[in-house]
Amino acid sequence: MSQTSFGIHTPFAATLLERRDLSADTALFKVAPEKAALPALSRFVPGQFVQLSVPGAGEVPISPADLPSMDGSLELCVRRVGHVTEHLHHLPAGSKLALRGPFGTGFPIREMAGHPVLLLAGGLGIAPLRSLLFHLIRHSQEFGEITLMYGARQPKLMLFREELSALAAQGKLRLYLTVDFAPEQPAGTFSCTVGLLPDLLKGFSFDAKRTYAAVCGPPPLYRCLTVELEDAGVEARRIFLSLERRMRCGIGRCCHCALGQKLCCTDGPVFRLDELQQIPEAL
Amino acid sequence: MKTRFLCQNQLPEFLKILQLFGELHGPTVTDAGVTAFAALEDPSALRLDYQRTQIPPKKYLIPFREELLQYRDDTYHQNEIKAPEIVLFGVHSCDLEGIAYLDLVFLGDRPDPCYSARRAGLTLVGISCEPDDFCFCNGSFETAPCDLFLTARQDGFELSVSSAKGEAIASAAQHLLTEVQPFPQTERPTCPIRPQDPELRFSENPLWDKFARTCVSCGACSVCCPTCYCFDVREYPSLSGGGSRLREWDNCLFATHGEVAGGNFRPTRLERLRFRFLHKYCGFTPLDGMTSCVGCGRCKQLCPVDIDLREIIDTQPKTTPELP
Repeated sequence: MSQTSFGIHTPFAATLLERRDLSADTALFKVAPEKAALPALSRFVPGQFVQLSVPGAGEVPISPADLPSMDGSLELCVRRVGHVTEHLHHLPAGSKLALRGPFGTGFPIREMAGHPVLLLAGGLGIAPLRSLLFHLIRHSQEFGEITLMYGARQPKLMLFREELSALAAQGKLRLYLTVDFAPEQPAGTFSCTVGLLPDLLKGFSFDAKRTYAAVCGPPPLYRCLTVELEDAGVEARRIFLSLERRMRCGIGRCCHCALGQKLCCTDGPVFRLDELQQIPEAL
Repeated sequence: MKTRFLCQNQLPEFLKILQLFGELHGPTVTDAGVTAFAALEDPSALRLDYQRTQIPPKKYLIPFREELLQYRDDTYHQNEIKAPEIVLFGVHSCDLEGIAYLDLVFLGDRPDPCYSARRAGLTLVGISCEPDDFCFCNGSFETAPCDLFLTARQDGFELSVSSAKGEAIASAAQHLLTEVQPFPQTERPTCPIRPQDPELRFSENPLWDKFARTCVSCGACSVCCPTCYCFDVREYPSLSGGGSRLREWDNCLFATHGEVAGGNFRPTRLERLRFRFLHKYCGFTPLDGMTSCVGCGRCKQLCPVDIDLREIIDTQPKTTPELP
């Protein structure tokens, strides 16, 4: 159900249920929207985004990091990086928030059915891919092999580490973790590869012709990773990237999220690589 | 078939009739000497011989700053939108085309409630014009969307009605109008915008560098453009606990426009200029392929460093339109 015309600017009321710190500057916020929002907000596709309002601060576009739940609550993984997110990070549980959405295109979960799926996440890019991963795992019989390659700057910045390791231990996915550098770690703690995500991909053998790739991370990562993926044999039309722009309105009006002649909020934020290759400023 | 004609000397009476349909606004000259659309409390302040106003009529539909929402009692509320009934008189066809484009953007999919309310209260009375050196419209003023259009003829105006509202005005002014034989169609000098060569968009045309070196990113060309509608959304908390969310005109020539956390996708003037050009002439989702430049000439007239995008548009040598 889409929002009424009266409601395109008016968000639904929501409450901050709990927050879980994932790193020094990143936390997972569990947000429960009011009942009236459930028909719209409980039907998002992984990769779509919602506009989260922090009263007095403003709105930010955030892609949920989980799947639609029975009670309608959403998990939003947010780094403290700007005006609105700074305010959000100071709020105690029970605080009032507001939500609009969902907006934009998600990952093409129907099109991916029957194919192996390779998820590539850099840093905070794990957030929307965690949502997609949960979908793939929940419907694993519909998909081929599920692989997640996740790179972070250093071990303590690797989000959802235990959760992902536990899922991998249950055989739900193939998990490859890498960090850019590993400072001293006490013996017996977490260990993973040290290196960049594209390096990880180099030594990886997979059915590239049939694989769908979903990528989310910082722009420099896209530039090198897409080359590696195409070199490995993944077709550009099967590589999907989730882009970040400053969507103000979410409905294709304010033009802040423009890339070339496309708008990130309505044509994206998930784009096919071959679409983006025509747009000089996209990546 | 006869056509309706308004004698020049009946114009003041006609304006009085228009005032029955809403607050009368039209082109006038402000105390500061600026040509502007403004309320005409005294209809004699009307300046129908104007070329173009500094700010286009988009200000009636998208105010420079407007409140979208208020935050109080733990929720966001949309205030009732109070849109006055306004009769905007004396709008040139380029500006009417500009409004038609804004209608596509704001009244299409998921209509904007603020815009819809203001648009519903706006009656448009167009008028024919004489192009000057800055103009480059396609001259299709017969098709310009409005309620009523006045074409200047000898000693008066020929009326064309194109909406029920326009018909209501014409009926109310029936006693001021005479029926005359239709006027022969006159050829109007035009300097149409040529279809875009896609190669030009991001080509290595040295003109782009020339423009980028002189552009000061002042954004005047967007502010005065009848079809530029980019906006920013800001939220201001109030000391009493609530707050309001506003939207304000924004500008793609400003460095902040392409900002994201930790970066900027259009950091240089060259990129921003090209982006504006691309959007203006080649369109945008979902109006991809649609030129939104209406040829009003404001951007060229107001640019402080005399950037003329027509230099890029015109792949052939420019010819000056012959005036009638």
